[in-house]
Amino acid sequence: MSARAAAPTPRPLAWTAAAFLGGVLLHLGRVPLWTVVAAFVCAAWSLAGHVRRLPLPGKTLRIAIALALIAAVLVIFRTLNGLEAGTALLTAMGSVKLLETHTRRDRYVVIAAALYLLLAAALDAQDLLFLPIYAAHAWLCAAALAVNAHPQSPLGGRAAARLAARSFLAALPLAVLVFLFFPRLAGSLWALPAPGRAATGLSDTLTPGAISELIESPEPAFRVWFDGALPPAAERYWRGPVLDEFDGATWSRPPPWRLGPPRSLAPLGRAYRYRLTLEPSAHRWAFALDTIASAPQTIRVRLTPDHVLVSARPLIEPVTYEAVSYPHARDADPLTARMRARDLILPRGRNPRTLALAHRLRTEAGGDAAFVEAALGFLRRGGFRYTLTPPRLAGDQVDELLFETRQGFCGHFASAFAALMRAGGVPARIVTGYLGGEWNPIGRYLLVRQSDAHAWVEVWLEGRGWTRVDPTAAIAPERLTHDLLEVLPSAASATERLLLEVHWLASIQLAWDAANAWWTSTVIDFDLSSQLALLGRLGLRAPGLTALAAVLALALCAWLAVSAWHYGKPPPARRPDRLALAYRRLCGKLARAGSVRESHEGPLAYADSIARRNPEIGRRVRPLLEEYAALRFGPAARAEALRVAEFQRAVARWRAPAVRSRSDRVPRERRKA
Amino acid sequence: MSRFRSDLERRIAAWAAARQGADELPVRLRRRRLYILPTRAGLGFAAAVLGMLLAALNYGNGTALALAGILAGIALVAMHQCHRNLLELEIASAETTPAFAGGRGGLTLALLNEARIARLRVQVDVAGATRPAVVDLAPNTLARAELEVPAKRRGRLLLERVRISTTYPFGLFRAWTWLNASLAIVVFPQPRGARPLPAPQGIRHDSRRAGGGGEQDEWRGLRPFRDGDSPRQVAWKAYARGAPLLVKEYASSGTGQRLLDFGRLPGLDAEARLEQLARWIVDADALGERYGLVLPGREFGADRGTEHRRRALTALALHGLEAP
Repeated sequence: MSARAAAPTPRPLAWTAAAFLGGVLLHLGRVPLWTVVAAFVCAAWSLAGHVRRLPLPGKTLRIAIALALIAAVLVIFRTLNGLEAGTALLTAMGSVKLLETHTRRDRYVVIAAALYLLLAAALDAQDLLFLPIYAAHAWLCAAALAVNAHPQSPLGGRAAARLAARSFLAALPLAVLVFLFFPRLAGSLWALPAPGRAATGLSDTLTPGAISELIESPEPAFRVWFDGALPPAAERYWRGPVLDEFDGATWSRPPPWRLGPPRSLAPLGRAYRYRLTLEPSAHRWAFALDTIASAPQTIRVRLTPDHVLVSARPLIEPVTYEAVSYPHARDADPLTARMRARDLILPRGRNPRTLALAHRLRTEAGGDAAFVEAALGFLRRGGFRYTLTPPRLAGDQVDELLFETRQGFCGHFASAFAALMRAGGVPARIVTGYLGGEWNPIGRYLLVRQSDAHAWVEVWLEGRGWTRVDPTAAIAPERLTHDLLEVLPSAASATERLLLEVHWLASIQLAWDAANAWWTSTVIDFDLSSQLALLGRLGLRAPGLTALAAVLALALCAWLAVSAWHYGKPPPARRPDRLALAYRRLCGKLARAGSVRESHEGPLAYADSIARRNPEIGRRVRPLLEEYAALRFGPAARAEALRVAEFQRAVARWRAPAVRSRSDRVPRERRKA
Repeated sequence: MSRFRSDLERRIAAWAAARQGADELPVRLRRRRLYILPTRAGLGFAAAVLGMLLAALNYGNGTALALAGILAGIALVAMHQCHRNLLELEIASAETTPAFAGGRGGLTLALLNEARIARLRVQVDVAGATRPAVVDLAPNTLARAELEVPAKRRGRLLLERVRISTTYPFGLFRAWTWLNASLAIVVFPQPRGARPLPAPQGIRHDSRRAGGGGEQDEWRGLRPFRDGDSPRQVAWKAYARGAPLLVKEYASSGTGQRLLDFGRLPGLDAEARLEQLARWIVDADALGERYGLVLPGREFGADRGTEHRRRALTALALHGLEAP
């Protein structure tokens, strides 16, 4: 076999490899880097083997590579199950398969792997930002499929790419219909694996430095649409996990989380109604404006006795709920002795100076409320500085903060203040959550970012119940009404500073966030109940699964009909070819002379039938019809262009002989040549 | 192909043939006779999309659901495109090339695309062909698909189930039609045998029925067209210039004629005799000589040229198999 004949075009393999590598790149940063590198190495090796005829690994080596990659995935993830490990495994297996793509079927397998990588990416993240990337990759896979189906097609890869793009656009309406009307499951068929990576968000512990890590993240935490007026800036406390166990450095919330009947809440001020869309996180907290009245019915969360919304499962998908909150309310139920004891515990023998200070302030103040005020006064006047980069604390951390470094962030002050309260005999606990939020005038919602994370203290005051005290407000009162970045410009990264200073950039950012909010609330959150609501808006009396299926079937049929019509009968050519034109002209002349060609008659059968009806015409026209048959259907190797031209001229010259016939009309003719 | 599958295909083809009747060329491929089914790759694709759909539903993930919708849509659009790739295509003619037993006969299909779209990757195949022929038709063109069919035994090699198909554009569906024209390749006996050509008898001169106008023929002149003249001999150039229909005439350079007689081959069985006759015909034709052929119940007068050769060899091919 000659080398030229043996080397088929590398185009199908190149497109297949491109589709697969595109799929791998979708997971950049999600899968270990070595799987990405392995995919690229395998693709390069495979292409080099194909084009330059380099040796590809044999069966033994391939199996060895495959086993090594599986082992590596197992070592890293300790499982082959779950989205992350599954993605890494798919990447590894696709890479190995690239090394043995001898047949079209092999390449189809690799393209299928690329499509499933795309699926995994979509399951993992459905941000608006990624949508064009996903679409581009789906297009790339379709183009690879077309190239592989017909590698010898005279139109090369570009035509395949155009074809894929057109097919993609034609398929787009179907995708929308499927999205809107394909009946969604109310639950899930099999358990959803929790994501392995740590998502940003508040956790259920607090070390004084912890919140400053969150501050770095401009990721949205949740968005809130208020039904009516917004609460004043100083009342935008978004309540999250309440921590009441303290070991001297860390505050935590010991599992199992206490559940019990929610404590009664006596509203003192006005109510705020709002709808909140929570971004996915790895945690179970659902946030609400402090203090929420009752658990929302639309999602599966419970309200704990300390007024925190807790979900049974990690909230890895975005959730939306409606709630009513009272910024001014009284938790009036009495504190049980057990709870009181729990919220007074301090580690023994630690922070002696704090204990001494608490004792002194307590003695001077007399009552609990006065003690709280005195402690706040201590913070206000003690020369404390609000900073994101405080010195490290060691040893008795509370003592060190209050008497040595005097610099800290909200976590530091909340932690120290709560400890001080407990030392003074006032039950205290830490509440973590968010403070503030940015008003988006385009989407008309409040955007709360991770960087708005905050920690404050609640103390139990006889007669007033649990009362919010924010020590940070005593040290940096402007934090209540301003964004953190405005209070601490040094905390901002270069991009954020740019956004603060260049206003049109900031408005673009607002618009982009509004688009994201719309995307999350209308597209990502679209579920069975949204579908039924849509049916109701379409005018269906009894929206249900049957109606949904019927609408889907109808929509599908409509789409198919449009598609069938669009790709229906191919349009006839504007001008038939020269030979056909000449033949048609001849047939026209013969028809006018009285011999109409039956549709089933070929040229020779036509000549016979003419001869039977009118021997004279038959004799005269037979050579032309035979020539036509020879030109049209004869063997290929003839100087045809010339002969077709001659035939055209011959037809032009041909006249039916004058015969006795009813349609004895001699056609007008233009004389050529 | 598994036996079950080929059997199934034969049954479906028989059903289709009964449904659409015998074809007379030219045949235009209308909807009624175009069939379409997913290919193996198409079934695999469907399974992949179904898997995506399940995953998307389980995760309640709209993006993945839309992805499954896009892929299903691409496949369905591909189905329509595939069907359109053949729709209204015309099988203008079908011609077979005879072969000697042991050689390869040919089937040439002329496909005419009178539409404004290109038809790419149109495949023609028939049971027994060496490999399928694939043609690409630009808008408004004619293309020939040429197939080679190995011929084993002399006689008529029936070409049943000529299939015109396509999997363009994505290879997910195959649209096809069967052509039920009674096509056959005439298979001449294999030229074999060592006996010398019979000696020439007498000398005659006859140019009127000169067949193909071989190269060794001598140009004699033009004469008016008569019924039965081959169009290949018509002087088209002269006609196009305005002259009446004239026929080019050649003088034969041969001198004698040989009589090739089935009955005068003692000691050979019928097949061997046919093979020997075929050998002689081929040799005599190569020499440019005139020869006659005598078969039981059939006789061909002395003549020469490709047409004569073809008729003589065809008579040998079908001898004893079909009534002349």
